[in-house]
Amino acid sequence: MIAHALFFYFFSIIAIISAIFVIVSRNTVHAVFFLILDFISIACLFIMIGAEFLGMMMLIVYVGAVAVLFLFVVMLMNVTEQKLSWFRGSKRSGHIPTGLIVGSVILLELVVIVGGWQYRDTFSQTEFLKFDSDFTNTHLIGNVLYTEYIHLFQISGIILLLSMIGAIVLTYRKREGVKKQSYIKQISREREDSVKLVDGEFNKGVSIDD
Amino acid sequence: MIAIKFIIPELFLSISIFSLIIIGVFLKKSFEIIYRLTILVIISIIFIIFSANFETEKIFNDSFVIDKFSIYSKLLILVSTFFVLLISKKYIIDIKNNKFEYPIIILLSILGMFIMVGSNDLIMFYMGLELQSLALYVLAAIDRDNIKSSEAGVKYFILSALSSGLLLYGCSLIYGFTGSTNFEIIAGISNEFKIGVLFGMVFILVGLAFKVSAVPFHMWTPDVYQGSPTSVTSFFSVVPKIAGIAIFIKFMYLPFKEVLSEWQYILVFMSIASMILGSVAAIGQTNIKRLMAYSSIGHIGYAIAGIASGSENGFKSTLVYISIYVVMNIGAFACILLMKRGGKYIEDIDELSGVSKNHPLMSLGLMIILFSLAGIPPLAGFFAKFYVFMAVIESEMYTLAIVGLVTTVISAFYYIKIIKVMYFDEPRKPFEKFVDYKIHGSIFISCFILVTFFLYPSFLNEIVSKINIF
Repeated sequence: MIAHALFFYFFSIIAIISAIFVIVSRNTVHAVFFLILDFISIACLFIMIGAEFLGMMMLIVYVGAVAVLFLFVVMLMNVTEQKLSWFRGSKRSGHIPTGLIVGSVILLELVVIVGGWQYRDTFSQTEFLKFDSDFTNTHLIGNVLYTEYIHLFQISGIILLLSMIGAIVLTYRKREGVKKQSYIKQISREREDSVKLVDGEFNKGVSIDD
Repeated sequence: MIAIKFIIPELFLSISIFSLIIIGVFLKKSFEIIYRLTILVIISIIFIIFSANFETEKIFNDSFVIDKFSIYSKLLILVSTFFVLLISKKYIIDIKNNKFEYPIIILLSILGMFIMVGSNDLIMFYMGLELQSLALYVLAAIDRDNIKSSEAGVKYFILSALSSGLLLYGCSLIYGFTGSTNFEIIAGISNEFKIGVLFGMVFILVGLAFKVSAVPFHMWTPDVYQGSPTSVTSFFSVVPKIAGIAIFIKFMYLPFKEVLSEWQYILVFMSIASMILGSVAAIGQTNIKRLMAYSSIGHIGYAIAGIASGSENGFKSTLVYISIYVVMNIGAFACILLMKRGGKYIEDIDELSGVSKNHPLMSLGLMIILFSLAGIPPLAGFFAKFYVFMAVIESEMYTLAIVGLVTTVISAFYYIKIIKVMYFDEPRKPFEKFVDYKIHGSIFISCFILVTFFLYPSFLNEIVSKINIF
């Protein structure tokens, strides 16, 4: 139990501190760094209570999606002004130290979770989630998602449809003079429409206008 | 499979949304036909709901309930959307915002409201809430070339997402403490886990108060109302308010009914603060849409006063209040949509000066509606406030009643000021004269209901008295 409490406090303190830093840091790139750290710590917490599917989904969806978002932020910001100097130097930037701190904490968490794996049995004695341990997490979620919660699953589908429509309504602009590809036109084109065979007489030009 | 026959309105709505999207994509210039089909869909759902029997039915593992309360709210939502669509069509075409997605997004938000008012479960409630508010974000920003509309959209999106997050946190606290998301189970064991349920309840109240724009979570309302196109504002000020008040009543009287003594104080505070701010802050406004925003904050204060009484008469008086509020607001926005001069829609109150000389009928209609909003007898607005204060006094909450009466008098000042501007100030250039039977008809119906309500005021009461949510 003590080991469990220690792990819990370890991950949750990191999660809370990094969540505070997401809000406090003025630099968006740093905020994204801390957001990733936050998600990873929460994923670790999920794994600790035996919800490994949820933890892995957290990693794939949030950390993956946030990494893409991170790329967008870097792309949209003025990259040229950011100096890639080290800790010292007159025009130093905070990116590398912040990245190093976040990275080392993530590494530490990985070490803790891999190193703590041998105490796994002591965790599972405390039953946080009541389920039949014969089935895996994924199996159990699948069992209820398409039976008991099918209506909610469908509604979330409609929400996604609406977000798609909304994004199109707010961003799509019809432009004049855009050349669109038309497969039917391309396929139905005959050779005679575009190719004209002309008998060119020797030493004379060919007029192609008519 | 048995459950399907109980959700035919929702199924019909979603299937028609999907087919309308397909029609809209493949037809060129499809705004006109989609708009008409949308109105047709709304009328047919009204008939579908009427053709079903009004028995209480719980489906999907008790997470969705069809009872008289949800049916009444759904009908109110549908009828008000029908009128909002009627009065706003000309405006949408005039500001060249005739995208075919516009009515479809309104239908989607109605679907979300249907799910929300019918929910009997925290997850179901949250899904409905998200569906309707996501649609509202898009609607607020739909006039994307107008910087004010975009600002309104972004502002509403960020603040509303924050309040949704708080609400979801409250839901998770309640689930964590009671171990269930079902409203009735939560009600059954909320006394055992009082502290946890209270914490969750406060967060849920924050989210709900934001959605109905009650003070102190009202900051977004004036900016969003002013920034979004008037057609969208008329939708905002009517339809989401019905759904918000309906789910507010449901939360207070179903899962949290055992902790009544705890939420009563919060609601009394919200109600008093909304009434005072709605009446005082509206005095200095020069933009009529902004004024309507503050007016709606004040009216939500009265509606919450009915809920705060905690009695059965309380929530029934709130239902009566919100029904009459809808009638008044649709009429008021129909009048605002008539204010057009030189091809431009105007929103300044000063532009109304002396309008009675050039447009006697419109100003007569607006006068009736404004008197009713102020709560002058014998118009319907008076009866709405009367029932609410009756319920409040029955629960012996005299402070709330006195503050309500005082703020009614204060708010009468700015409503009557508009009437003074219309009737006694120097006339300006007349508005553009156009005859749109839909707008004029809506004003006429609204005024007719407001004026003749006193002949048979128990009509609405008799309908509402059959509603029971316990």
